[in-house]
Amino acid sequence: MPADPTMKVLVVDDMATMRRIVKNVLKQLGFNRVDEAENGVEALQKLKAEPYGLVVSDWNMPVMTGIDMLRAIRADEKLKSIPVLMVTAEAQQSNLIEAIQAGVSNYIVKPFTAETMQDKLNKIFK
Amino acid sequence: MNPHPMNAEQRAEAIYKEIGALARFVEHAMKTVAEIGRPVAESSLELPTVTSHLTDLVKMTEEGAMEVMRLTELMQEDRATVTRECRAIAGDLRAIGQGDLAGRVEQVLAILNQDERRLTNIMTALSFQDLAAQRVKKLVAILEDVREKLVKLVVVLGDKPNGNGGRLEGRVGELLKELGQSRDSAMKQRVADEILAKFGFE
Repeated sequence: MPADPTMKVLVVDDMATMRRIVKNVLKQLGFNRVDEAENGVEALQKLKAEPYGLVVSDWNMPVMTGIDMLRAIRADEKLKSIPVLMVTAEAQQSNLIEAIQAGVSNYIVKPFTAETMQDKLNKIFK
Repeated sequence: MNPHPMNAEQRAEAIYKEIGALARFVEHAMKTVAEIGRPVAESSLELPTVTSHLTDLVKMTEEGAMEVMRLTELMQEDRATVTRECRAIAGDLRAIGQGDLAGRVEQVLAILNQDERRLTNIMTALSFQDLAAQRVKKLVAILEDVREKLVKLVVVLGDKPNGNGGRLEGRVGELLKELGQSRDSAMKQRVADEILAKFGFE
C-alpha cells in the first residue's frame, strides 16, 4: 500500500536541527502533516492522543530512547501497527539487530540523503 | 646450620632496619606519586571549564546550522513559487501556439528542479551538526568521569590547589584564558559599529 501523503508523521529527535532536517525532507517527499517530539515519552503521549501514520525516530535521546519507545509502541495494542523508521547515528550491527528484534520497520544511518528516505518509505509502504 | 645464630636482640635490630628501609621506600614512592600527580590533579580543576567550552561549541554549531536551514527553506519556498509560475506560463504559451517559447520556459523548469535537489542536499548535509554534537556530548561525559577520578586523586594526595587559585599556568592556561575571553567578551558587530561611529567612522 503506497504511503498516504495526507497521513500525520511524527518526527522524534532531541536535536532541533535533526528534527528540522527530517521534517524538510518529508515535506519535499510530499508529507506536509509532520509533527515533532523531543523524546520517547513525549512521542508516546502524542501517539496516544491522536492517530499517526508513521514515526521517524532517533535512537539516542534523553528521558526515553528511541529503542525503548519502539518497544513501548510494539507492546501497545493500539499503537503496535504504526510503522517506525529509525534514523540514527548508532551504526553498529548490534544496534540494527536490536532494532529489528524490537520491531523496527526500517533503519537509516545518519548522515542520510532524501533518496535514502524515499527508498525506505517506499519499502515500508509497498 | 648457621654457625653464628642471631640472638633475639640482633634479630629485632635486623627487623627494625628492614622496617626502616621499607618506610623510606614508601615515603619516597609517595613523594614521587605526589610530584607526578599534582599537575594532573591541578589540571582537573579546569575540566569543568573545558567541558563548558565544548557545550558552547555544540550550541554555536546548532545556531549556525539553524540559520543555514532557515535561509535554505526560504529559497525552497521561492523556488516552488517560481516553478508554479513557470509551469503556468509554459502552459499558456503552448495554448497560444508559442511552442518554442514554452520549451525555453520548460528548460528553466528543469534547472529549477535540479536546484530543488541541491537545496534538499544542503539540508541533509547539515546533519553533520547532530553527529558532531553527539560525539561532543560523549566526550563531555568522558571528561566528567576523568574529572571525578582526578578529584579522588587530589583527596588521596592530600593536595590543595596551587597559590594562584587553581588556575593553570603555561600554554594550557593561556588557551583556556583565550577561550574564556572569546566566549565572555567577544564583541558583536553592532557594538563594534557603535564604537566606530563614536570615533567618526560612518
